[in-house]
Amino acid sequence: MADFNNPNFKKFINFVKKLGFLSIVIVLALYLLTGIYTVGPDEKAVVLTFGKYTKESNPGLNWYFPAPIGKVIKVKTTKVYREEIGFRTIDPGPPAKYQDKRTESLMLTGDENIVEIDFTVQYKINNVKKFLFNVKNQRKLVYDAAQASLRTVVGNSTLENILTIGKGEIQSQTQKKLQKLLDVYDSGISIVNIQLQDVQPPKEVLNAFKDVASAREDKVRYINEANGYRNDILPKARGEAEKLINEALAYKEKRIKEAEGDVARFLQLYEKYQLGKEVTKTRLYLETLEKVMPNVDKTIIDKNLDSGLLNIIDKGGITNEK
Amino acid sequence: MKSRIFLGVIIIAIVVVFSSMFQVNEMEQAILIRLGKPVGKPIETSGLKFKMPIIDQVVKFDKRILEYDSEPKEIITKDKKNLVVDSYAKWKIKDPLKFLQTVNSYVGAQTRIDDIVYSELRQVIGKYTLIEIISTERENIMEIITKDSSVKLAEFGIELIDARMKRAELPKQNEENIYRRMEAERNEQAKKYRAEGQEISLQVKSNADKEKTIILAEAYKTSQNIKGEGDSKALQIYAEAYNKDKEFYRFVRTLEAYEKIFGEKNNNRMILSTETELFRVLSETK
Repeated sequence: MADFNNPNFKKFINFVKKLGFLSIVIVLALYLLTGIYTVGPDEKAVVLTFGKYTKESNPGLNWYFPAPIGKVIKVKTTKVYREEIGFRTIDPGPPAKYQDKRTESLMLTGDENIVEIDFTVQYKINNVKKFLFNVKNQRKLVYDAAQASLRTVVGNSTLENILTIGKGEIQSQTQKKLQKLLDVYDSGISIVNIQLQDVQPPKEVLNAFKDVASAREDKVRYINEANGYRNDILPKARGEAEKLINEALAYKEKRIKEAEGDVARFLQLYEKYQLGKEVTKTRLYLETLEKVMPNVDKTIIDKNLDSGLLNIIDKGGITNEK
Repeated sequence: MKSRIFLGVIIIAIVVVFSSMFQVNEMEQAILIRLGKPVGKPIETSGLKFKMPIIDQVVKFDKRILEYDSEPKEIITKDKKNLVVDSYAKWKIKDPLKFLQTVNSYVGAQTRIDDIVYSELRQVIGKYTLIEIISTERENIMEIITKDSSVKLAEFGIELIDARMKRAELPKQNEENIYRRMEAERNEQAKKYRAEGQEISLQVKSNADKEKTIILAEAYKTSQNIKGEGDSKALQIYAEAYNKDKEFYRFVRTLEAYEKIFGEKNNNRMILSTETELFRVLSETK
């Protein structure tokens, strides 16, 4: 057993007491020092004291009563969070690699067709207190509610509408519905936007859809070809018509002018003829023969040697045979 | 000796003080259980709380909105179609004491929610056709299910905020049918477009052909008319002049014809009688 009354021992006890006090002070100081924390410019911190919400601290150096009395939860408030639905980015790349999640992306439309939509939801935390204390699994909430909202909207549209004009409309309607849900849950989340990445008929029927598009183009092509044909033949026909009419007009003028010419010549002859009928006739006759006869092989038969041949000639080939 | 006892007392005091204090944070609510029985009201505010040391136990529950995500289930609609419904529910522990006494734990709660929401879902969906569920009545249906389920779940201290169909889709084998129908519809459309194109094309082309024929025929008619005018005008001119002396005209015209007939160098052979005008002079001088 030790001797407690030893003065050395008393000294030792005193030393321990002093040391104890000092160490308590040091430990306390160290403990309080651990309460220093920084808040980045892009975040907000919520401080709980004994579990109770006490304040939201601003960016910079801050201090809180360290655990177990206090607790700090930091949340990034400027960051835009993103949920992918219908696909997952495996590798942001480039080139980006995606994995298809068809159970999420295939959905029924209001006219009982199936459409495949991949979309993303971007959201921000607009109320840190609500975000932290009102909902347990916030990501899952956004993810579930977004799907429910989009499918409700798609269920109220026709396939045709979704594939053609409705994309922006569907985005904004879905965003409204989703925001309403998140407000019902009082989640402190605000949707920045909803983006339909890929809106397509399911790949099982994609070819049929592509064929419709090419059929539309075919239709336009047929019509253009026909118009081309029309534009080709009609001007030609009109030109042809013009040509015919011009030829006719030319013919008409030619006939008339020629007739007038012939008549003018005849009348002049006629005038001379009046002066001396027999003489003129004979002259004209002989002049013509002079012009014509040199070119003709002639056989002259004396009338006196009539052998009947001339009969034939005279009578224009009519023989005596009855 | 004294100092030891003193030390002991201090330690016990510290333990007692510490075990009489507990924290409830913003995300939770608590119930005090004294020797197996709950005491007082559930604690729903946050901060530093006190209890009887040692004999009081604190049971904490989440105060936030919790989620329940069901497995997809096949449900039959009013028009006897199978529908795979994947629903979720958002709920809260409204009355922790009731909750503790009835379902006791989260797992128990999930089971209850599953039972109740699913049976509501099955009932309500059986009253509507597929297309109503997918489009027109979708939100209505969810409201009915939420309302009816929340009444039943209130007994377990659970507040159902809402139950929703996350997905309502056809089973795989029915999907095939839809694809086939979609394909058939598209093929029809494609045919229709092409046929329409051909229709318009034929209309345009045949119309153009018709117009061409008409244009040319009209032109022919007009040109024949014009030619006829020319002919008749010419004849009139001739007639007017020649009628002055038919005899002389015949004579002159005959001479012209001679010129035309024999004028060219050709192999005409002419047999002439000496009786002709040409040789009359000859014979007279005999």
